Amino acid sequence: MTWWSLILILVWLGTFVAGQLFFKRAMESSGVAGFRNRQTISILSAGILLMTVSFFLNLGLLQRFDLSYLYPFQGLSVIIITLMAAVILKEKLTLRLTLGTLLITAGVVLVSMS
Amino acid sequence: MTNNRPSGFANPWFQLGLNIICVVLYELLLKAGAKATADPSKSWSWIGITGLASPLIWLAIVVIILDLVIWLYVLKYIPLSIAFPLSRLVDVLVPISCWLILKEGISSLRWCGIALVIIGLAIVAKPAARLEERL
Repeated sequence: MTWWSLILILVWLGTFVAGQLFFKRAMESSGVAGFRNRQTISILSAGILLMTVSFFLNLGLLQRFDLSYLYPFQGLSVIIITLMAAVILKEKLTLRLTLGTLLITAGVVLVSMS
Repeated sequence: MTNNRPSGFANPWFQLGLNIICVVLYELLLKAGAKATADPSKSWSWIGITGLASPLIWLAIVVIILDLVIWLYVLKYIPLSIAFPLSRLVDVLVPISCWLILKEGISSLRWCGIALVIIGLAIVAKPAARLEERL
């Protein structure tokens, strides 16, 4: 595992999570303002762009690594969501979230060494 | 919630199972397509666009879109904080499929790491889904 591949993995997961959240916002916006609304369209386009970037990065990584190596890293996307919630919603992390986050991180570290 | 739940093929729990099958299927298709088109000697190949030369990747894209529709349908009937933890069954099925179908050599160190990730995800899935609903 090089620093370069670690960065690419994090960008892959980061764009995926961000894309999902944009899709969700676009659905909410379409419910309020409709699908032809300019704001809905721009949020949806941003989501599609982020998802596309994430998709191709995933392909590039799969061309180099085993699926059983890359797949566990997707656990980090849950951690990204949890941390975003802590920052954006000012949500305190519960003991359960902290414990799970530590286990996922430890697991990913082991996989990255394998 | 329990009222008006469609039965048979439209049953949301059946569709959730279908979603899990789709995820495992497209992960395997993406890996197979990526393997067929891999050419790490080109420095720009990190962006993965060469993968589009494989029909398996296009098949995977179809399954991904199908899966997205299924998932949105599931979420109409089952709350994310229940559907998301159950959908994490894929985290068990994908490594097993890598081992059985793709014949990837998985060391005991990697199995241990995978196990820790699965246990961690099982613990956080429900509260994390609640947070995601609010984000």
